[in-house]
Amino acid sequence: MTKEKNPYFKFSGLISFIICGALFLCLTRANSFAQGDNQLVSLTKQVIESKTNAELYAPFDELKVIYFKDNKYPEFVDFLKSLSLKKKEIEPFVDYYIALTRYSQLKYLEEKQNWDEYFSQGNTYRDEITAAAQKSIDATGPKDALWVYARLLLWQFHKDQQDVLAEQALSDLMSSVSEYSKESNDPLPIKNAADKLLSYGEKGKSRELYKIYVSKIISSDLKDDQLKNTAGDFYKQGNLELSEAIYDVYLERIIKSLPKEEAVAILFDIAKLFAYKNEGSNDMLYAEKIFQKIEELAGKESFDEELIYLRAFNLEKAKEYQMAKDIYVDFVQRFPADSRVEQATYKIGIICAYILRDIKCGRDNFVKLAEKETTTPYVISSLYQLGLLSQWENDLEKAKGYYNKLLEKAKEDFSESLAMAKERIKEIEESRAMEYNIKTFLDVSLKGTELVGDMQKLNLNASSYILNKGKEVAITSGAYVPESGCMQVELQYLWSGDLEKTKPPLAQLSSSPSFATSYKEPGTKVINLVVIAPGGILDRNIDMLDVY
Amino acid sequence: MKLSTNNLVDGLKATGRKFLLAACSLFFIICFLGAAPKPDKIYIKKVRNGHYQLIVNRKPYIVKGVCYSPIPISANHEYDWWSDSANKPWLVDGKLMQEMGINTVRFYQGHENTEEVKTVIRDLYQNYGIRTIMGSWLGFWEYPCPFYGDKDFQDKVRKEVLEMVNLYKDEPGILMWILGNENNYSCLGQVNPWSTDEIDKEPDPQKQKAMKAKIYYSYINELSKEIHKLDRNHPVALGNGELIGLNFAKEFCSDVDLVACIIYRGKTFGNLFKSLKATFDRPLLLAEFGADAYDAYLKKEDQNMQAFFLESQWRQIYENLANNKEGAGNCLGGTMFEWSDEWWKHDQNSPDSWKVHDTESNWSNGSYYFDIKAEGNKNMNEEWFGIVALSEELENGLNKRIPRKAYYVVREFWKNPNLNNNKKKKAENSK
Repeated sequence: MTKEKNPYFKFSGLISFIICGALFLCLTRANSFAQGDNQLVSLTKQVIESKTNAELYAPFDELKVIYFKDNKYPEFVDFLKSLSLKKKEIEPFVDYYIALTRYSQLKYLEEKQNWDEYFSQGNTYRDEITAAAQKSIDATGPKDALWVYARLLLWQFHKDQQDVLAEQALSDLMSSVSEYSKESNDPLPIKNAADKLLSYGEKGKSRELYKIYVSKIISSDLKDDQLKNTAGDFYKQGNLELSEAIYDVYLERIIKSLPKEEAVAILFDIAKLFAYKNEGSNDMLYAEKIFQKIEELAGKESFDEELIYLRAFNLEKAKEYQMAKDIYVDFVQRFPADSRVEQATYKIGIICAYILRDIKCGRDNFVKLAEKETTTPYVISSLYQLGLLSQWENDLEKAKGYYNKLLEKAKEDFSESLAMAKERIKEIEESRAMEYNIKTFLDVSLKGTELVGDMQKLNLNASSYILNKGKEVAITSGAYVPESGCMQVELQYLWSGDLEKTKPPLAQLSSSPSFATSYKEPGTKVINLVVIAPGGILDRNIDMLDVY
Repeated sequence: MKLSTNNLVDGLKATGRKFLLAACSLFFIICFLGAAPKPDKIYIKKVRNGHYQLIVNRKPYIVKGVCYSPIPISANHEYDWWSDSANKPWLVDGKLMQEMGINTVRFYQGHENTEEVKTVIRDLYQNYGIRTIMGSWLGFWEYPCPFYGDKDFQDKVRKEVLEMVNLYKDEPGILMWILGNENNYSCLGQVNPWSTDEIDKEPDPQKQKAMKAKIYYSYINELSKEIHKLDRNHPVALGNGELIGLNFAKEFCSDVDLVACIIYRGKTFGNLFKSLKATFDRPLLLAEFGADAYDAYLKKEDQNMQAFFLESQWRQIYENLANNKEGAGNCLGGTMFEWSDEWWKHDQNSPDSWKVHDTESNWSNGSYYFDIKAEGNKNMNEEWFGIVALSEELENGLNKRIPRKAYYVVREFWKNPNLNNNKKKKAENSK
């Protein structure tokens, strides 16, 4: 369908008005719910009087909203069919909206479990969707947004059905959007298609379309600030894919046009926007990409203590532990007086010992803290970690020494660490083995010979990584278990570390993939997990939470 | 000796009589042999486009099947229903199945009362035209088995399998053999784990799994070869949970004719058909699939939910049959799980619970999304998978069968398999 004017459009306004009035009178009989609704009259009039296709999108969309609002799907189909009898030129729109209505109606029936209609009419509606959408596609072309929307709808339908045509429909959609982008100046359908693909989890394809969309909006002479604001708006809407695509273009521009210092300052702002925070949208890897760009542009020296710490923390939360450790080391060396140095040193110790399996590096960092005169949460926790490492190596005297030093330093404070240390001392004194969960974690983490794809088959996440004392936090795990059909695999969850008072209680935790807890004392809390399947150890993981 | 004309005529007559007698005898022998019942030649044909068709009696055959295990209320899986000659549940079920359009039943394994098994196969076939897929668990549920790496265990199972083939191969109702069910999961060590000394010495868990898979699939291949020697008339299927391990089957299992997959993926089977083609290009029978009829979230029976899933699953099976241009063309049909509810399943060790239709869910599967919000996400109710429900009320000595909605919905689908494929219709119309 083209935008060429049809002789029909040359009719006088008076005739159009009479037709609209007559049509509306007919429609009101079938649409009693809309009686007296001036909006419906007005939209019908707009459709009938439209001179180009471009004028049809808005009234049709508004009509859809009116009918869909109350789930009046059959009524809308009747209305659309009556409408097409009056004006043949609008048929592609009518077809598209019939397909869309039946598609929404089927979804509604499934959602509301209105099964009688679903089973009696399902096939008819499905046939209508494919036939009407195809008719709309056949009657339109690369200049029409409707062409893209009908393709999009057809793909959604086949994707939902997971049928054999889904792949072809996706390929048709992608090539249609590509052709459309060359023929049309309105980029919105491209974005809408990309949004929909993203909502269906088609990240790669949506990214392709967002790129086309971005190239369209850039070619429309958008200024730098407008580009930045557009990217920011998409960030606020939670569409990070699109936001990042636009920021990429924006950054490319400002790196070339602005003085280095100015560009770097903007880059830092964007990195902070995407870096880990408890609330809001994060894309830690994108933030790191920006940090790397800053390093390329202005060197490591351009990072002050806030930014270098943020970069390390962000990498830690992205579970890029090797890089996180390196940046923490850099942070400690460059800003030894910073208040977060102890925390960073403790984290380096944990990452080295239990993630990178470099016990010497881990121990060195714990020793640095343990030898301090002061008594801080990190000094206490490091003494405990040193005790654990020695106990695991069966150097029990040394282990006991560390635990006793912890008791001596902690006095009445740090009750959580005290309780754990006392328990370990008791084990040594009674010649008992170390608690099973801790020992298993240490065995798996420090030897590491039993695992394939270490820390890849077990996710570990906290609802929040920056906590206040007493605030409840949910710890959840997700184990990737190979298919076992209807024979469910019983998993055993060996939790250890800084668990505190858990919900469910510790005794029931072995069958629970998640728990909730809270902490009375500040410091970095370490959560360890090993999951056992009937065939042996499935995987292990570790996570760190900062309590203030 | 001079021969008169009369003598010559007499001689010719006598020779003619002998010839006629011999010809008649030969004719009667042929007729007699022809009249004796013999199994149809059943085979899989690879058609020109690379698609697969199951051929029965020289005609394509779509398996419209159901897994059949008619355990009555108050009994468990050990109950010998095969010997229930008083009530013959298969006759009641066979009639209902025939009315629904079912043409095949799948038995996971036969019974030691082999004559009774033959009776069931014959009754179903002769009365209702329903063919039988006969399977073997391959010792999967024998305690403390399985030991697929153990020669004695292998020999024991081999003997049982070959006995089964010998016993039933000449039954006209037999359609094919299925070896195992979800036994492949044991190679991963997640369920019914087994090992050998050699495997235990291997420190790399991935290599251990590969070693087990090699042993298991090579063994299946041996069985398949031996079955083919005994019986050239029926295909042999490899029973397999999902597609797990089929990369090994490709290497070690070249003599199986098809793969019989057990799949629970909710509304459809996703990319199963194409994945199989890429992994191990064999025809596919959906040997176990379906949905339960209990909403574990709302805690009530939901026949519609079951019907919804089954209709959608059958639609995808049909899309992937041979000669559907858009489909993978490697599907031969399916056997739904299952014909009737089994009330013993929730707690097989507690006879009291066999009298109760338990509503506690046994396992979780997010693809069955209507009731996934149930406690602990446990939404699959093992006792509620029947296409027909069982009533405690007895009818002719059997628990009354009450067809669920899925019975009618699938029946209608089979009568008019609408694939909602507009392109296909257009192409067909243009022919």
